[in-house]
Amino acid sequence: ETPKPPAAAAVCGGGGSDPVPAGASPWWAPQPPAPHTLRDMAGVAGGGGGGGGGNDFQWCFSQVKGAIDEDVAEADIISTVEFNYSGDLLATGDKGGRVVIFQREQENKSRPHSRGEYNVYSTFQSHEPEFDYLKSLEIEEKINKIRWLPQQNAAHFLLSTNDKTIKLWKISERDKRAEGYNLKDEDGRLRDPFRITALRVPILKPMDLMVEASPRRIFANAHTYHINSISVNSDHETYLSADDLRINLWHLEITDRSFNIVDIKPANMEELTEVITAAEFHPHHCNVFVYSSSKGTIRLCDMRSSALCDRHSKFFEEPEDPSSRSFFSEIISSISDVKFSHSGRYMMTRDYLSVKVWDLNMENRPVETYQVHEYLRSKLCSLYENDCIFDKFECCWNGSDSAIMTGSYNNFFRLFDRNTRRDITLEASRESSKPRAILKPRKVCTGGKRKKDEISVDSLDFNKKILHTAWHPTDNIIAVAATNNLYIFQDKIN
Amino acid sequence: MLGRGLKRKLSDYEENMAGLSSAFDSSRNLPYSLKRQLVLNMCLTKLQTYKMVVEPNLHRSVLIANTVRQIQEEMRQESSQQPVNVCPIENSLLMVSDDDMSSAISSILKDLDFMEDISPPTSLVPAGDDEPKSPESTCLKLEDDRQDLKGAECVFGSFEISNSTSYLKDLAIDDIFEDIDTSMYDSDFCVPPLMTPRPPSSATEETLKTFPSCNSSSANNIPICRTDLSELDHIMEILVGS
Repeated sequence: ETPKPPAAAAVCGGGGSDPVPAGASPWWAPQPPAPHTLRDMAGVAGGGGGGGGGNDFQWCFSQVKGAIDEDVAEADIISTVEFNYSGDLLATGDKGGRVVIFQREQENKSRPHSRGEYNVYSTFQSHEPEFDYLKSLEIEEKINKIRWLPQQNAAHFLLSTNDKTIKLWKISERDKRAEGYNLKDEDGRLRDPFRITALRVPILKPMDLMVEASPRRIFANAHTYHINSISVNSDHETYLSADDLRINLWHLEITDRSFNIVDIKPANMEELTEVITAAEFHPHHCNVFVYSSSKGTIRLCDMRSSALCDRHSKFFEEPEDPSSRSFFSEIISSISDVKFSHSGRYMMTRDYLSVKVWDLNMENRPVETYQVHEYLRSKLCSLYENDCIFDKFECCWNGSDSAIMTGSYNNFFRLFDRNTRRDITLEASRESSKPRAILKPRKVCTGGKRKKDEISVDSLDFNKKILHTAWHPTDNIIAVAATNNLYIFQDKIN
Repeated sequence: MLGRGLKRKLSDYEENMAGLSSAFDSSRNLPYSLKRQLVLNMCLTKLQTYKMVVEPNLHRSVLIANTVRQIQEEMRQESSQQPVNVCPIENSLLMVSDDDMSSAISSILKDLDFMEDISPPTSLVPAGDDEPKSPESTCLKLEDDRQDLKGAECVFGSFEISNSTSYLKDLAIDDIFEDIDTSMYDSDFCVPPLMTPRPPSSATEETLKTFPSCNSSSANNIPICRTDLSELDHIMEILVGS
């Protein structure tokens, strides 16, 4: 694996205003094949290592978007977060069916400390609530997923989906306006053709930047059940959409037809014991995709083998640990998210209590397992009673696949370094939201004496859940959705 | 979590359940069978709640149904291994509620099928091709609804009678259904012995058998649906009128 050049070096390199410990090379200098590790960053963070158990790397608050009100409007609850391929754009979808896109500001040479901030670039209503009169059902306008398309020209394209309908949106900039038309006036009124005595060539004049979003395709009526995933193929021409029982393959240009590639609906619904929970295309092999199930299994399918991919090529399942068996074992094994690594060699799954990293070449068990909030294992009955046990947490990789991130309760989120096996718990809160303030690691006390600054399991707020997080494709910038607020954190700079 | 349009009259009940579930979590001394009973009750309550929502969550329903089946299987195995002198509560549960639980799960999953999958999957078929099938399927839904409602009531009914330490004691069965206008359901099709028998069960079985084949729109089944279209009109009038 070729080490990725540390792109972040361009952002914070060179300054050197903080003394670098003698003998340690700055992390942005070319190293022998060392992937980005949290520990490597310590050189820049002013000798890291200090503060709480083994946290060499330091995250800082950058921005928070959203209302401060205690009263949260249901429609404002963020339901998906996604960076685009370059990381310059950050899209969020909410329960009200709106999409808000933030754009990273260009680096300002005169203010090197102000790293590129994200500001609102475009806002539009993607989906509206619908009522299906035939089935007497209300179709929620909540945006379940947003996926960007790779940029091919000046415009940006993204797919957004609710429970039933996927839409392709084009976001384009307009900063010029044509003036001097022959057939119409400046205010648009048609000119009387008999009054026109001379022809003129319209000229382009600059205008205030306007960002327009327009729906280019609407992919509807292909899903009976609720869509939980969409994934753009590496061929950039097709994409898949998955609901509880079926996965469909679409061509981006064709809206009136989709090809059903997976169907797990039994002939007799009474025999239904398993549903599809997530699906994703392989980042490099356009014929390969995976889908996860409510039974904690992942199936890898090759579209070349047959038209209907009911037979998997690979089947990933970890044998159950009999000592931890409980009434809720199956429920907590249900996979809520599956993500391929950027390299395409690994995939990561999130179930209720853990994150697992799988090597695609090994089907019988994951290569790494990370406990997100094991202290909840003794609370499963209460969590089942209040339905929290069904919460669907997402997970994400960093650009170099060396670290993973996922959310938890009480507005906590967790980061794991795969190389050093270190982990850290941070909190997205208004209290720690001073500009460039370093985030303090949090700790949950599981029993016995509670130390200062620790929080006990029973004090956790289960209404403050972080389900959606995103990591910038190359830099150490993370976006964390906490109910109706979007937090952006960055690594410490010189 | 409870879905739309459901009046929250269960608040006292919910408080009880919350207390019980934290007792489950914190107490090490709770006997296994009691824990299992508690989980089973919670599962069935949830399934029952989901049935009253217009569009139940398929993912959750399947997970809960699997948990119920797992507990059922466990209890079945225990009963086959144990001697005759078993705790009377569990025994009566096994005898009375096993079939009812199965039928409750079956009816819920079948219900999800009719409710959600009115249109077949579109593979290489232009979208919007689903209209012709709808009128048939809609009337199927009505029939199935009536039958399922009775089935669900039975589950709770059998619990109340057989299990004297039922955690559902505080909950009056009628309260759950108070908000539902069952006037149009009170006409036909009832199987369970606890309810007043209505039209002969053979008619029910016949109609049940024709349900699966109705989707294929065979000519034989159309007459059944035609008679119900006038009822459908009547119901539509009520819905639109209100």
